[in-house]
Amino acid sequence: MLGKLLKYDLKWVYKVVSVFYILSLFFSVTGRLLNNIENSVVFSAITQFTFGFAIAMMASSLINCLMRLWARFIRNLYKDESYLTHTIPVEKKTIFLSKVLSAGITVFTTAIVIIVCLFICYYSKENLQVLKSMLEVTASTYDTTIVNLLLLMAFVFFLEVMFMILIGYVGIILGHKSNRNKMVKTILIGFALYMLTQFVTLGVVFIFGLFNQNVMNLVNTTDIVNMETIKLVMTGGIGLYAVYIAFYYWLGKKAFQKGVNVE
Amino acid sequence: MELLECKRLCKEFDGKKILKDINLTIPKGKIIGLLGKNGAGKSTFIKLVNDLLTPTSGEILINGKKPGVDSKEIIAYLPERTYLDKEMTIKQAINYFEEFYSNFNSEKAKKLLKDLNLDINTKIAKMSKGMQEKLQLILVMSRTAELYILDEPLGGVDPATRDYILDTILSNFSDGASVIISTHLISDIERILDEVIFMNNGEIALTSSADELRNSEKSSIDDIFRRYFKC
Repeated sequence: MLGKLLKYDLKWVYKVVSVFYILSLFFSVTGRLLNNIENSVVFSAITQFTFGFAIAMMASSLINCLMRLWARFIRNLYKDESYLTHTIPVEKKTIFLSKVLSAGITVFTTAIVIIVCLFICYYSKENLQVLKSMLEVTASTYDTTIVNLLLLMAFVFFLEVMFMILIGYVGIILGHKSNRNKMVKTILIGFALYMLTQFVTLGVVFIFGLFNQNVMNLVNTTDIVNMETIKLVMTGGIGLYAVYIAFYYWLGKKAFQKGVNVE
Repeated sequence: MELLECKRLCKEFDGKKILKDINLTIPKGKIIGLLGKNGAGKSTFIKLVNDLLTPTSGEILINGKKPGVDSKEIIAYLPERTYLDKEMTIKQAINYFEEFYSNFNSEKAKKLLKDLNLDINTKIAKMSKGMQEKLQLILVMSRTAELYILDEPLGGVDPATRDYILDTILSNFSDGASVIISTHLISDIERILDEVIFMNNGEIALTSSADELRNSEKSSIDDIFRRYFKC
């Protein structure tokens, strides 16, 4: 049943997001071709506009992906369509898992499209050299290659977006438990959970700092932080995001399984 | 074992009791009219049975089990609103039902749609509300369910459509199944009812066999209802 649900969830999100993927790719390729044709002022301006559109479409892909995932969650589980979704013989935890997996898959493909478009727009030996020189120090601090570092950054971006989506899902579930002002409560709860999680992060850093002076220096001094500490905090940050995602998945699943009150 | 059993079922919204201590059993093989004025709690009761609302207290058992996957497998529910994804075509809606309900008969659905002269490639968004409701009715009645729950199937439709809806219900529900029809348009369904349940202010006001009630009160259920709920 999970596969069937996932098929419908993905279809709904991709129906619009794929248009932005195509537009992102179209403007990236067009910009790149124009860039290669001629070096006149007019062409240069058109090229810059085209690259600008490409960037705007990439940003729209991500924003639309997020908005459609949340919209799908509300429409499918709490509006008219919920009368069908909640009466098909499928466990609530499976319905919730399908929403989370569809979020993971669409965010992943959106990230891939953005990376590919950026590559099409800006790949050149010179740009690659600039990027290399920028990332070399950081990569060596992590005892890794630049490619692995870029993959790590993409992974952190993925975790951050998934964390935001899950906070949104939990906000929707808890906000829709009440009978009035559901959307206002959804937004307030989502925002409160986000802020609460940030405070917890600060608390964790502070507690960790009690045992590690370098980490504490991040909080109470303006001294230049050494790379080892940054590495430690970054690794800890990834771990924390993973814990938050697992926690909010568990919380959302629990709250959703307790039952709904559709409109 | 009763098909549907409610024990001390209560539902509150913001501290206001919408359903109060509902105790009810629905046997197998009956057509039951769930009758009451607007706001009597009929739709709330139906939503609770279908797991669309969470009870404040009390218990609902369907074939001895709480609402869940097993109950959804045997209940075919027609809500009072249109619930299909309007971006789908009729064909896609049929495929959806076929994929999720093991007891859905797509051939039966296609035949009923053909009788309505509906092209299965039509997009739901392009259909009138009345046609969307007919499509939903066909999809629901094409399931071989044990309990059909129809919430206000006759609401806001012309007399000819009412006849079509009643005929579709009567000629398509499975043998041995029960049908709960919620409505306040009693005269239209009176002839098909085996049992009646009157709801008033979130309570069960009366349950009776339709024939026994007619005989004891010496009038139609419609008249009894009008007397009972006179403002």
